Amino acid sequence: MNKKTWLLFFVLLLTVSTALFGCASDDGEDTGGESGNDSGESSSQDTLIFGRGGDSVGLDPITVTDGESFKVTKNVFETLIEFGREDTEINPGLAAEWDVSEDGLTYTFTLQEGVTFHDGEAFNADAVVYNFERWASGTEDKFYYYKSMFGGFGDDEGHVIESVTAADDMTVEIKLKRPQAPFLKNLAMSPFGIASPKALDEMGDEAFNESPVGTGPFKFVEWRRNDRIVLEKNEDYWQEGLPKLNEIIFRSIPENSARLNALQSNEIDLADGVNPSDAAMIEENADLQLFERPSMNVGYLGLTTTREPFDDPKVRQAMNHAIDRQSIVDAFFEGRAEVAKNAMPPVIAGYNDDIEGYEYDPEKAKQLLEEAGLGDGFEMDLWAMPVPRPYMPDGQKVAEAIQNNLADVGITAEIVNYEWATYLEKARMGEADAFLLGWTGDNGDADNFLYVLLDQDNIGSNNYTYYENQELHDLLIEAQSEVDEDARSQLYMEAQEIIHEDAPWVPLAHSTPLMAGSSTLKDFVAHPTGSDNLMDVYFE
Amino acid sequence: MAEPAKLPEQEWEEQQEETLSPWKEGWKKFKRNKIALAGLSIVSFFIILAITSPWIAPQGIDEQNLSIRLQPPSSEFWFGTDDFGRDVFSRVIHGARLSLTVGFLAVVGSAVVGSLLGILAGYYGKWVDAIISRLFDILLAFPSILLAIAVVAILGPSLQNALIAIAIINIPNFGRLIRSRVLSVKEEEYIMAARAVGMKDSRILFSHVLPNSMTPIIVQGSLAVATAILEAAALGFLSLGARAPQPEWGAMLSASRALLVQAPWTLVFPGLAIMLVVLGFNLLGDGLRDAFDPKMKT
Repeated sequence: MNKKTWLLFFVLLLTVSTALFGCASDDGEDTGGESGNDSGESSSQDTLIFGRGGDSVGLDPITVTDGESFKVTKNVFETLIEFGREDTEINPGLAAEWDVSEDGLTYTFTLQEGVTFHDGEAFNADAVVYNFERWASGTEDKFYYYKSMFGGFGDDEGHVIESVTAADDMTVEIKLKRPQAPFLKNLAMSPFGIASPKALDEMGDEAFNESPVGTGPFKFVEWRRNDRIVLEKNEDYWQEGLPKLNEIIFRSIPENSARLNALQSNEIDLADGVNPSDAAMIEENADLQLFERPSMNVGYLGLTTTREPFDDPKVRQAMNHAIDRQSIVDAFFEGRAEVAKNAMPPVIAGYNDDIEGYEYDPEKAKQLLEEAGLGDGFEMDLWAMPVPRPYMPDGQKVAEAIQNNLADVGITAEIVNYEWATYLEKARMGEADAFLLGWTGDNGDADNFLYVLLDQDNIGSNNYTYYENQELHDLLIEAQSEVDEDARSQLYMEAQEIIHEDAPWVPLAHSTPLMAGSSTLKDFVAHPTGSDNLMDVYFE
Repeated sequence: MAEPAKLPEQEWEEQQEETLSPWKEGWKKFKRNKIALAGLSIVSFFIILAITSPWIAPQGIDEQNLSIRLQPPSSEFWFGTDDFGRDVFSRVIHGARLSLTVGFLAVVGSAVVGSLLGILAGYYGKWVDAIISRLFDILLAFPSILLAIAVVAILGPSLQNALIAIAIINIPNFGRLIRSRVLSVKEEEYIMAARAVGMKDSRILFSHVLPNSMTPIIVQGSLAVATAILEAAALGFLSLGARAPQPEWGAMLSASRALLVQAPWTLVFPGLAIMLVVLGFNLLGDGLRDAFDPKMKT
């Protein structure tokens, strides 16, 4: 027993000293050369090792919903429309040109010539039609994003797409039942990458999910679960001179600090998810460079509106007054975020800047609680996400600060943790009183925030607060088919006023997610959606 | 058994004398052991700290002030402030109370249950012994921290459940110790005598067997407190023990580990506190063993 005590004690001592040693050796000579240039005589590095927080869920983009999966599929698949390199403007992708009819119901796409799938099959109108037909015949469980973006499947009433036909070999015509304003933006989303029909037929959905075949700049090589995904250069890529890299390895390193350490020791070349507190150190280090991902997200505290006492809007407003967002942003986002007052970030068209955010005012909060008959406060569970997310680098710390704020107005909050998948599942089922969560925009459209996160249609999927408001619903549905940009923005501004008043959330911050790379890495641009196209990247 | 048989009365007296004298003798020896005394003073220091913490700590447990976060140690904040702007010094002091409480209660719990099982196993032998000893073997077959994690996973993470988990994993250590002790004690003539005069098993066990097995429990206990505190810190570090904002040392380490470079004082002081208190109990335990363990007599 005694021996064991000493052993434990030494292990502790060793751990601490090892950690300290690891930090102290920054200025020492790095002995390791470039990773992965063992192949031949090429002097410059052409393998990119991308360290990220988690593994992919699947590699068939239409079947998944998580950002980690899209990070990979973005480079294997291409969509008809592509986003800009650092924005969500619409650009030609697999469709070289397109034409929209006067009534906004018919889209005619002229496809890019000379594109082939990784399995050698030619890309043409039939392939596009095949993909759309596959998606439209699915179910919500299988193709979540298709329903979410296009309203349903097959003959569903909400289904926006009426037909997809091949007008000729390289022309596709898509007919809509009603105009959909963000239709082209939706098509540019990673889930709608065009897959090889032959590969799908031969492998079936399940095998395809493990070894995808697209038209993108990189071909899939290997996937070792929870360890790495390897992609190699597509030699027959249709864009001249691209991609510049020979190989990409996506590695999963869950801890932010461990990932940064791996970058510092040259184990990886690019690290996703950097703690804001490490930013200053990276900027000072000549071997590293810091990348800021343009902010297109929101981090919030959701209040489940079906659970007492959060079924009372007064209590929800009191929560909004009780929490000191500015201090939280300054402390735990290190100022690399903007305090949020709306459910969507300011970069998105339709943002309502006239709304006055709830100011930090504990007295006001107490007064509102008093009015709600809860002058003596109450007890609640406060759920904190267990993993760092781009919209909230440290949920645990934010929760502790909120806990302290709430104690000041008499609310006793107990912090609750679950493993990430369980957390999401339970919160989705409405089991949390209040929970921290966030959202990164998929396509830069207001619909992708307000409708997806707060409309009653999405209760049980992304509307975790179970917030329901018919007036809001009508506005959001109207906005979906409003083609005039100004009128549409107006609708979203009204929607934000309703949301502000009902306060199903305490919006916290719009963060600027950080990444870090070795200084030899060139032309990497972090995309606001979180899915980065790596075909331009090279090493100096 | 070469010596001539003694009269029962005479032996009884000798026995009485012997039960007193080892304690006195042990204390004499202990006083001469400087290292053990150092351990005793460290432990006493922390005990006083724990008892008086509400009065001597400059701040409460969770007085956040985000405008003064991560300040280095100064005359105002002796141990600096953490990332919530809380006084680390105050939290370390409050933490002493948590850690010592967990350490003591867990050890008392495991000692009581362990001794009870150990006595039963040792005294009755046969199938009772077989069942209890196999139970101990099963518990000992798991790495202790793994078992603790499993117990906490079942009960749910909280300081109280961490305490229970630590108590459970320490039961076999006490149990086995007492069992072996009882095995030898029960062969002593005075136990036979007690049985011969018709004393009930329960009385024999608790008035004779248990008191004569106390020394190893105390020695083992003081060492086990050190382990228990470390285990509590480990569980706290894994977010399986104390809940925020409780200033448990292990949880403090865990919460500050990302600040190692930026604000080392947030880790160094809780770490030092763990180290010191564990060192204190180990020195004390070693001293007690040297003083009281009959096998150590030279």
